[in-house]
Amino acid sequence: MTTLLLAAGDNPLGHVLDRDSALSIEGTRLTLSMISLVVGALVCITVLMMAARRIKTGPSSEGNARFVTKGRIAQVIEVIVLGLRDQMLVPVMGERLAKAWLPLLLSLFFFILTLNLFGLIPFADVQEMLHAMMGQHEQAAHDAAHAAPAQVFFGGTATASLSVTLGLAAISFCAIWWQSFRDLGVKGTLEHLCGGHDLVHGPIGLWAVIPIIFVVEIGGMFIKPAALAIRLLANMVAGHTLMAVLFSFGAMVLKAGGPTWAAGSITLVAGIFAVLITFLELFVAFLQAFIFMFLTAVFISLMAHEDHGHEEHAHDHGHGGHGHVGHGHAEPAPAH
Amino acid sequence: MFLLAADASNPMSVQILPLATAVVVALVTVIVLSLFVWPTIAKGLDERNEKILGEIKAAEDARAHAKAAQEEFERKLIQAQQDADTMIKEARAQAQKAADDLRARSEAELAELKKRANAEMDAARRQAVAELEAHAAELAVSVASKILGRAIDAKDQKALVEQSIKEFASTGR
Repeated sequence: MTTLLLAAGDNPLGHVLDRDSALSIEGTRLTLSMISLVVGALVCITVLMMAARRIKTGPSSEGNARFVTKGRIAQVIEVIVLGLRDQMLVPVMGERLAKAWLPLLLSLFFFILTLNLFGLIPFADVQEMLHAMMGQHEQAAHDAAHAAPAQVFFGGTATASLSVTLGLAAISFCAIWWQSFRDLGVKGTLEHLCGGHDLVHGPIGLWAVIPIIFVVEIGGMFIKPAALAIRLLANMVAGHTLMAVLFSFGAMVLKAGGPTWAAGSITLVAGIFAVLITFLELFVAFLQAFIFMFLTAVFISLMAHEDHGHEEHAHDHGHGGHGHVGHGHAEPAPAH
Repeated sequence: MFLLAADASNPMSVQILPLATAVVVALVTVIVLSLFVWPTIAKGLDERNEKILGEIKAAEDARAHAKAAQEEFERKLIQAQQDADTMIKEARAQAQKAADDLRARSEAELAELKKRANAEMDAARRQAVAELEAHAAELAVSVASKILGRAIDAKDQKALVEQSIKEFASTGR
């Protein structure tokens, strides 16, 4: 165990970043994030299905009690869904867009939230400890030192992998441009990329800025989802790295030849801080899932015909002549 | 910027297989949830919303109905009080009128009785005076006959009676 701790003190990132799992399919080694994705999806679907069954209106024989949601988890999910739908998405996107995109946005939110919360549970570390306690200290220490524990089947934070967050952002990217082509059409989308209908059909003297706007808009096409991916990745990696560093202090003391009592004291203090950081991580898990979902909703609504917020549109025609919904909206500042 | 090779020590490395897995798993999750979860939850929430709105509307209707009923009741109560006051006033007026009529009729009857009694008294007095005059005349005639010792003829009798009456009238009244 001491050897394991010493090895852990080498590189805290080894506990945070994605690595190979002990599972493989036809010789292809799966990563922990891939396993976490599948397990997270299964858990997310199962929990939400159970919640849906409890939120659903019961038989009329139950009287008024048939409208009451049973179970704490179902009630929490119901409150989250209601809050996101009525307080966030409908005001930002309007009734029509919110109704159309609610399934995707809520699914993204709960899927990312599940993956984030999974990252708070040290499944991989527990497996490493169990592996070490079962008498394979040397192999475990070697695995930990090389950040490739062959006996870890599942664990880690899937959203702390850029591959995963880029995959999720790719779905947002497709949703944003699907909405653009559906609402604005190919011509309208191209006009949007060139600065809008007013600019394209405006004075010839202003056409000089169209290439600049086109480059910026094309860049924005990719920068927006990339920002989603990197924001989620950075927050997950940063929090977990901080946790790993805190827990590695004791191992560092031991490695430097310090007394055991000093390592124990430092580990105790670091553990207290780690508990506090865990609460912050819990908040960040919810916050980042929300930000990913909410910014996707904002980007989608930027590409839609305006069907709400006419007042804002009346004051802001500078971006194009198609009445995009986002003209009057300020993009929320990326938090955290 | 991004490393597309499998470099586990670099947090910015991108591996194709996990990326594809993330896309596929996320899409499958979205599809499953969209088919089996969100419609059920949305339906449950909407039904509850309708139920709550219906209950609120029913409560507001019931309150409006109760308020209208109370106003109608108060209006009828005020009307009943006004009717009762009117009836009491009318009854008092009728009673006063009946009393006045009764008193007037009693007074009239009393006056009639008094008048009739006075008339009867006058008639009785006149009859008594007449009888007294007749009796006095007879008595005077009788006395005079006895004094004179002879019968008094009609002419004397008449003169005597008239004289007696004059005397009686002058002394008797």
